[in-house]
Amino acid sequence: MHEMEVKILSEKFDIENAHLLEVAKDHGAYSTLEKLFSMAPGDVTEEVKKSGLRGRGGAGFPAGVKWGFLPKDTGKPTYLAVNSDESEPATFKDRYILVRDPHMLIEGIIICCWAIGCHDVYIYIRGEYTSQVKVLQAAIDEAYAAGYLGEKVAGQDFRIDVTVHRGAGAYVCGEETALLESIEGKKGQPRSKPPFPAVEGLYGCPTIINNVQTIASLPFIMKNGAQAYSAYGTEKSSGTHLFGISGHVEKPGMYELPLGLPLMDVLEQVAGGVWKGRKLKGVIPGGSSTPVLTAEEAKTVMLDYESMAEHGTMFGSGGIVVLDETVDVVKLVENLIYFYHHESCGQCTPCREGLGWMKKITRKLLAGEGTMADIDLLRELCDNIEMKTVCVLSAACTMPVRSYLDKFRHEFEAYAKDRANSAPEKVELQRN
Amino acid sequence: MADMLKLFVNGEEVEVESGKNLIDAIGAVGIEIPHLCYHPALGADGNCRMCLVGIEDGRPPLVPACKTPAMEGMRVQLDTEKIKKIQRDIMELELINHPVDCPICDQAGECKLQDYYMEHDLQESRMRVPQVKKSKNLDFGCGVVHDQERCVLCGRCVRFTRQITGTGELGIVNRTDTARVNIFPGRPLDNRYALNVVDLCPVGAMTSKDFRFKQRVWFMQKDEGICHGCAKGCNIYIDHNREKYKDDVIYRYRARHNDLVNGYFICDEGRMTYKNENDNRLTEAAVNGLQVSLAEAVHAIQQALTEAAKPMMLVSPNSTLEQQWAVKRLATLFGATCSGYSDAYIREGDGDDYLIRDDKSANRKGLELLEVDSDKAGFEAALADCDLVISFDNDLFRFESNDELKPVLAAKKVIAISSHTNQLTDLGTVVLPVASYSEYGGCIVNEDGILQSFSPAVRKNEAPVDVLEVTRMLGGAVGDSVQAWPGMRTTVPVLADVQPDLIPAEGLQLSMSEEGHVSA
Repeated sequence: MHEMEVKILSEKFDIENAHLLEVAKDHGAYSTLEKLFSMAPGDVTEEVKKSGLRGRGGAGFPAGVKWGFLPKDTGKPTYLAVNSDESEPATFKDRYILVRDPHMLIEGIIICCWAIGCHDVYIYIRGEYTSQVKVLQAAIDEAYAAGYLGEKVAGQDFRIDVTVHRGAGAYVCGEETALLESIEGKKGQPRSKPPFPAVEGLYGCPTIINNVQTIASLPFIMKNGAQAYSAYGTEKSSGTHLFGISGHVEKPGMYELPLGLPLMDVLEQVAGGVWKGRKLKGVIPGGSSTPVLTAEEAKTVMLDYESMAEHGTMFGSGGIVVLDETVDVVKLVENLIYFYHHESCGQCTPCREGLGWMKKITRKLLAGEGTMADIDLLRELCDNIEMKTVCVLSAACTMPVRSYLDKFRHEFEAYAKDRANSAPEKVELQRN
Repeated sequence: MADMLKLFVNGEEVEVESGKNLIDAIGAVGIEIPHLCYHPALGADGNCRMCLVGIEDGRPPLVPACKTPAMEGMRVQLDTEKIKKIQRDIMELELINHPVDCPICDQAGECKLQDYYMEHDLQESRMRVPQVKKSKNLDFGCGVVHDQERCVLCGRCVRFTRQITGTGELGIVNRTDTARVNIFPGRPLDNRYALNVVDLCPVGAMTSKDFRFKQRVWFMQKDEGICHGCAKGCNIYIDHNREKYKDDVIYRYRARHNDLVNGYFICDEGRMTYKNENDNRLTEAAVNGLQVSLAEAVHAIQQALTEAAKPMMLVSPNSTLEQQWAVKRLATLFGATCSGYSDAYIREGDGDDYLIRDDKSANRKGLELLEVDSDKAGFEAALADCDLVISFDNDLFRFESNDELKPVLAAKKVIAISSHTNQLTDLGTVVLPVASYSEYGGCIVNEDGILQSFSPAVRKNEAPVDVLEVTRMLGGAVGDSVQAWPGMRTTVPVLADVQPDLIPAEGLQLSMSEEGHVSA
């Protein structure tokens, strides 16, 4: 273990059979409940706000603030949906929690439920997580049997029921309102916002949707206090994060690190540097939908929300992909568009029709049939599609594609059959 | 009157109704925001993205107008370069996989894609890669034919079957650009309102098997009318055309919006009744089976009336108030019994709780208002007693009923003044063709007591006379619609203040309370 790494969320990951209640309890699971139930729910929310914990699904919205959006006294139940759809390419953090320490997640759920006054919880787990769902369900069953879930949680007059809902293979169901539609048994298509889920979510009731890692961070905050958590990371990006480092590195894997470390230090010291002694071409910082960083940009960026934003990209899901000098960016972009086109729910016109067009243009380039005008068109389509849709799936495709086009345009031009021509063909608008 | 609020469109202040979304609120003052998926009867879905508008200082600054309520002081931007570009971009994306087969598409001429292309797009196609292929000519049942390639996935048809009929036969299957509207295998459309999806479809994806390839829409004259298929009185468009060297023919009915009566829709059966206006028409006057002129037929009727000891006149529940009144007055003039007996127009149990009524006549309420006795016993007694029956377009044998009357009628002299050939005209010694409802105008009162007026739409080459005209030729005092009203006003209290020219477009709710009826 490298000295940069920390063991907050991953504390029990290396302990054998920590997914079993007995083992987990020996290592402190559910020890925060007594303290929890002695606190007023509002104080729990305050503590989480103070910790600076931000949503770990990718958007990084402060968790405690999100809880505060719940309307009071609606006469309706409040629901918690735990987003375990982890489908963003290059992201593999939540699965560790589900398999290696599911009781940490359940404990986090209890903490959240107490804070927001929720009794019915849905864990939306991606359908492909077949072995993970078994471990999770077994842990939930154990928790029920031990009285941590059910009518009287830990002997308190407080009910929590947890239902595991398996997805059916749609990436878009990780979008929080598509996730709710899917739980309701409908086609997984994002809803227009407003209303936001905190006001009108699952079955029309106030609903909080949090990522697995967000919820799993709660027991540590509960046990050690907000300050202990915010001692890690930076002022605005507090705490630790599970990073999944993949691609062309010597030691790919999942590493828990405090936020705010220099990206290159992590890549070189923790992940062993670019593999095979090759040079770095670029880094995808947080899942495939985040704009790429060039090798030059990667030198100055830190692993926190603010630094990423300053570099024109996003922190995302912590799924870092290292690209070495051999990567064909056009092929990478084709793969990227293929994925987002395939996963577009087909609801909004720009995303439904546009991503397929972008895919075909990219394939045309790869086939040697493309022109300079096609590259311009591809670039223009990014602008035409982005943010014109109900959800951000289209932006999840166009933002990175635009970054590759802008930062590696010469690679696209190398595929254009008319690249020798000085002036690119321009499509004129015909107007009456 | 709804509350009003003021907002700004392109910097200009407009006053609009509150409680509406931007499309409807601003649309009501004549400013159209382009949209495909939104329909006032089906609510906002927000998938087409054509109605994206800018909101100055708004958070967010770009919103779908269908999902955005009009708010006081809102500054809506429709004419900025940004918004125009968005509309152009969305249109481009709507069209890249569209077959653009307008020359063979029935929707051409009333297609939103065409209209919006002309208004908001007008750019050459930049699509240089193969289009997405989908299925065409799919028989969805109920006379609905679907073309998946023309479809823009607005989902109006899907929402219609879910929200309006509650039958849910349609759905959008698959994701991304392979998404398509489809039925479940072996479960076609099966409801009595299915053809409304053809009206609802903003493009040519949903077509009517009945109307397909029959007529280009721009050749047709589109007149307003009222469906006479049942006692609901749904508002319709009568789309008709006189092709060169041919007669004026109706090609289709479409639903016409009227919140007071039928909302935005009509039933399929009513929609198809247009055929009955074209077909089975009585065209020639005849006496004892021999073709005669109109004047000769009228003369024969006059003669029969003079000879008859006890004549009876039958009024139709389908006729207008004016026609019914004229026949009633004529009966009084000749000392004839006047009956509105028309049980044959009623199909017990056929109606539903939406638009379809058991009573398949359009103006039975008129008979009640004018106190024309429609009672069966009364009719049978009068029939037994009389020696001459003159029917003014009352089809005694509609829906294959009243067979027991045939032997009784066989013993009488029967005169059938009728718009259509039917079993009564078969029995008639004198038959005289008259106009049907698409060819005349007047007022009718629907089952709920809503008075509506309508105007003639179709003008046949050899236009049959109106029932009113026949009564005039027979010596009646009421010769046209205008002449009917003074008498009706003084006799029927609820009609006392009615000015037929001033009946509002959506109709007039009459007070149908008991004391509102005729005194004597």
